[in-house]
Amino acid sequence: MSAHKPRKKPQKDDHDGNAASESVKTVVQVDATSQKPTFPLAAFYWPARSGVSQWTVIPLTLIVAGLLRWATSFWGYSGFDTPPMHGDFEAQRHWMEITTKLPVARWYFYNLDYWGLDYPPLTAYHSWLIGILGSFLNPKWFALDSSRGLESPDLKLFMRVTVIVSEYLIYIPSLVIFNRRLAKQSGLNTWQTSVALMAILLQPSTILIDHAHFQYNTVMLGFTLAAMANMLADRLLWSCVFFVAALGFKQMALYYAPVVFAYLLGVCLQPKINPTRLIAIAITTVASFAVVFAPLLVGASYNHYRDQNLAQQLPKPVLLDFVLEKLPVKIESGHFLYPVVLQLAQSIHRIFPLARGLFEDKVANVWCAIHTVYKLNRFSIAFLSRLSLLTTLVALSPSVFVLLLAPKKKLIPYAFASCAWSFFLCSFQVHEKSVLLPLLPMTSLLAGRHGLYPEVRAWIGWANVLGTWTMYPLLKRDELRVPYAVWTLLWMYLLALSPASDSTYSSRSGLSVFTKALHLCSYAIMVAWHIVEAFVSPPDGKPDLWVVINCVIGAAGFGICYLWCTWQLILHSDLLRRFGIPGSTELHRETYTFQSSRVELQKKTV
Amino acid sequence: MVEVKNLGYDSWQTVYFQRASVILTELVLVFALRYFVQTTPLAEQKLSHAAALSILLSPGLLIIDHIHFQYNGMMYGLLVLSLALARKQSTMLHGGLLFGTLLCFKHIYLYLAPAYFVFLLSGYCLSQKSIFRIRFINCLQLGAGLLAIFGIAFGPYIYLGQTQQLLSRLFPFSRGLCHAYWAPNVWALYSFIDRILITVAPRLGLQVKSEALQSVTRGLVGDTAFAVLPDITPRMTFVLTLLFQSLALVKLFLKPTWEVFIGAITLCGYASFLFGWHVHEKAILLVVIPFGLIVLKDRRYLGAFRPLAVAGHVSLFPLLFTEAEYPIKTTYTVFWLVLFLLAFDKLAPAASKARVFFLDRVSLLYIAISIPLILYCSLVHNLIFGARYEFLPLMFISTYSAAGVVGSWIGFLVVYFTS
Repeated sequence: MSAHKPRKKPQKDDHDGNAASESVKTVVQVDATSQKPTFPLAAFYWPARSGVSQWTVIPLTLIVAGLLRWATSFWGYSGFDTPPMHGDFEAQRHWMEITTKLPVARWYFYNLDYWGLDYPPLTAYHSWLIGILGSFLNPKWFALDSSRGLESPDLKLFMRVTVIVSEYLIYIPSLVIFNRRLAKQSGLNTWQTSVALMAILLQPSTILIDHAHFQYNTVMLGFTLAAMANMLADRLLWSCVFFVAALGFKQMALYYAPVVFAYLLGVCLQPKINPTRLIAIAITTVASFAVVFAPLLVGASYNHYRDQNLAQQLPKPVLLDFVLEKLPVKIESGHFLYPVVLQLAQSIHRIFPLARGLFEDKVANVWCAIHTVYKLNRFSIAFLSRLSLLTTLVALSPSVFVLLLAPKKKLIPYAFASCAWSFFLCSFQVHEKSVLLPLLPMTSLLAGRHGLYPEVRAWIGWANVLGTWTMYPLLKRDELRVPYAVWTLLWMYLLALSPASDSTYSSRSGLSVFTKALHLCSYAIMVAWHIVEAFVSPPDGKPDLWVVINCVIGAAGFGICYLWCTWQLILHSDLLRRFGIPGSTELHRETYTFQSSRVELQKKTV
Repeated sequence: MVEVKNLGYDSWQTVYFQRASVILTELVLVFALRYFVQTTPLAEQKLSHAAALSILLSPGLLIIDHIHFQYNGMMYGLLVLSLALARKQSTMLHGGLLFGTLLCFKHIYLYLAPAYFVFLLSGYCLSQKSIFRIRFINCLQLGAGLLAIFGIAFGPYIYLGQTQQLLSRLFPFSRGLCHAYWAPNVWALYSFIDRILITVAPRLGLQVKSEALQSVTRGLVGDTAFAVLPDITPRMTFVLTLLFQSLALVKLFLKPTWEVFIGAITLCGYASFLFGWHVHEKAILLVVIPFGLIVLKDRRYLGAFRPLAVAGHVSLFPLLFTEAEYPIKTTYTVFWLVLFLLAFDKLAPAASKARVFFLDRVSLLYIAISIPLILYCSLVHNLIFGARYEFLPLMFISTYSAAGVVGSWIGFLVVYFTS
C-alpha cells in the first residue's frame, strides 16, 4: 500500500486536440486566428502556459496568496474591544494561556465559563506550542488570568503570524499535492492545474474567517486535504492517520467522517472482500486516536499520581458515572485507570456539547429556516436532536451509498462535499463558520475533470459567494465590511461571475437556462439585500429581520448546492448506467482518464 | 487594494478616504500605460505590455503610495502619458504641455526638464532636416501654452507677493546633503568612504575633523558633516548634476528620436538622483519608471536594468519599519523581481552588439548578495546588537544600493552612447 510506484503519465489532454469543437466550453476561446482565456484568473496565468517551470509558478502563486492573506490580517479580529467575553481571538489566546500554565489534568476543567477548552486534544497541543513560543517572546501575553482580554498590537501580530505559519505548514502543502494529484488524474494540463490551485487558494470565506475573524480552520482543512490526497494516491493507511488528525484538531471534521468511512469500507469490499486491508485500516485508525489522546492521558495520569487529591478537586463530568457503569471492570476513584476515564469523559463531554440548543446563532441551515416560520422551541431538546440526527442520516445516505457501491477516486470530492452539506444543513449545533467544510471539497472540484469549464466554475463560484454572503452578519460585527467586499468582488472578477458581456453567464458559455436564471437571480437578491440592510432599518420588534432573511435565502441556496453536489456524484458514479437508467448520455461518450479504483485494486496486492 | 489599513493616528473615515483617493488617482497611471501600449508599433506591443505591467505593479509605488502614503501613481501617470504623447510628431506639443502641468504638480520633475527642453527644441521647434531652420509656429504654440500653464499655477502666488516663501519651500537648500535615511547615491558612497577613513586616517596621517566626529546622529539626521573628506556644497552638487545631464543631452540634440529621448530622460533622472542635493530615496522612481519603458528594447538594456531594479527597491525598505509591514514589503518586492526579471529575460530580444559576459556575472552576484543583506538588516542585527548601532543596517542598505545604482548607471551610459 505504501510501496513506491512510478508516476503514471497522464493521458494527453484533449483540449488541444479538438479544441475548436469544444470552444465554448474550454478554458480558452478559439477564434480563427488566436486563442484567448475565457476568465480573468486564467488570463493572469496566460503567459505561463508553456515553457515556464513549476518551480517558478508555484512559489509565485503562494507568495501572492500569502500577501493577500497578510494584508487581510491587518483588519480587526472577532471580539476586539468587546469585554467581558471578547471573541474567538480571545478564546484561542486563552487556550494558549491555560495549556502552558496549567497541569495537563486541568486543561479540560479550568474555569469553563470563560472560554473553557472545548476542542479536541490536537488543538490543545497546538495552543501549547504557540503559547510556549509566545511566552518566550513576551511572558505577559499568556500569563495565567492576568492576561485576560489582552489586546496589544504586538500580540495581534504574533497571533496573526501563527495562523499564517500554521496554514503554510499544513494547509498549503496538502492543497498543492492534492490539487496536483486530482488535476493529473482528471487530465488537466500543468497550466490549468496552476489556475485551479490559485482559485482554490483564493476562496474568500476561508481567508476571511481565518485571517480576519481569527481561527485556525485551515489546519483541520489541511489535514482533511492530506487525507483526500492520500486516498487519491491509494495510501489508505496514511489517509486514516491524516483524517484522525483532522478530527483530533477540530471535531467539525466529523462532517466528512461518513464518507471517509464509506470509501475506506468500499475499497475493502470491492471488487472482492479484502479482510486484511480492513483490519489494517481499523488498527491504524484506533492507533492514531490513541496517539492523539496519549499525551493528554499520560500527562493527566502523571498529574494525578503526583497529586492524589486532584480527582476530588475536579468537578465530576456528566458522562463519568454513565461510562463507569458500562465498563466491564470496576474502576473506583483510587484506581490507576480512573484519571484516564475521567479525562476522556470530560474531554468528550466538552467536545460534543449536546446540551446546547439545536442551533446557536442565526445560521443558514434547515432548522433555522424552519424556525422562522414554525417555532421549533416547542419541542424538547431530546426530540430535536433525534430529528436532526435522522434528517442528517437521510441527507448523507446518497453519498455514503454511492461510495460503498462505487468507491472511485474521482468521486471523492463530490462525496465529501455532499456529505458535509448534509451535516451543515441538517445537523445539531451548526455554526455559520461551518460552511467552510462543504465549500472546500466543492471548490476543489475546480481541479477535477472539466473543473474550469463555465458550468462547474459557475456553480463553485456561486456557492462560495453565497457562503461568504451568509457570513456577512458575522463579519459586520467584526468591522470587516471592507475586506468582505474586496474579497467577494475579487473572487467574482477572477472567475468572471459578473453579468457582464464576456462573463461565465454570457450566451457563449453554453450554460443551461436554469443555472443561469438561478445564479443571476440570486446575485441580484444578494445585492438587493445589501442595499436594504444598509439603508433601511428593520421594523420595530424584529431587529434581526435582515439577518433572518439572509439565513433563509442562504439555506435555500445551500440546499441547492447539496442537490447539485449529490446529483453530480450520482452522475459521475456511473451507477445510473449500471442500473440501466438512461439519462447521462453525455457522460457515456467520454473516456475517463480516471481509472476506476476497481481496475487499480485488481493489479495490486495488499 | 487590500493594503488599506488603519494607521492609528486618525479616524477611520479619514484613512479610508485618503487611501481610496490614492487608489482612484492611480487610475491615471493605468490610463497612461494603456495609451503607451496602444501607441507602440504593433510588433513591439507584447513587449511594451509587459513593461507597462511591471510599472503598474511596481513595488516602489506600492510601498511609497499605498503604505507610506503619497500620490506618485498619479504623478508618474502624467509623466508616462506625456512621454507616450511625445512619441508622435502630431501629439508632441501635448506631451510638452502636459509635462509643464506636471511640473506645477510636483517640482521634482524639474530634474527631467533639461531632456524635455532639448528634445522639444531639437525635435519640435527646429526642423528635422537642418537645425538652423526654426519652426516658428511650433515655437509659438509651445511657448504660449507653457506660459499659460505656469501663469495659472503660479500667478496667484506672485500676485499675492509670496514668491520668496514659495521658492524657499520648493527648493530647501537649507536642509542637509543627505536625507534622513541615506538615499543610495554617490554621496552615500562618499560618506561610507568617509566613515572608513575615520578608522584608517590616523595610520595614513590624515587630519580628522573633531567636531564632525562628535555628532552622534551622523547619518541619521539631515546635517551631514564629513570627518576626513572635504565637505560638499550645494553648488558642487548642482554643477555635477548638470554636467552629467548635459553629456546625455548632446546625443539627444543630435539625434532626437523617441528611444534616445527616453534614454536621456532616464540619464537625467540618474544624474540628479546620484549627484543631487538632499535627495530622497523615493526619487529612485524617477529613474526606474522611465527606464521601465525601454528596458525591453534589447538584452543590454535589461542587463543595466537588473541591478537598478534590485537596488532601487531594496533601498526603499527602511521607509517602512513596523514588523507588520515587513512581510509585505519584502515578499512583494521578491515577487515582483522574480516575476518581471524572469519575464523580461524571456521576452527581451537579443542585442545587436555583444554583451560583456563578466558584467552579467557580477550583476548576478550583486543580486544574490541582497538576500543575506536584507536578512541581516531586518533580523540578525537586532538579535546581535539590539537597539545599538542603529545606523549600521541603514548604512549597509544604502551603500549596497548605491553601488547597484551607480553600477547600473555606468552600464546604461555605455548602452546609451554605443547604440
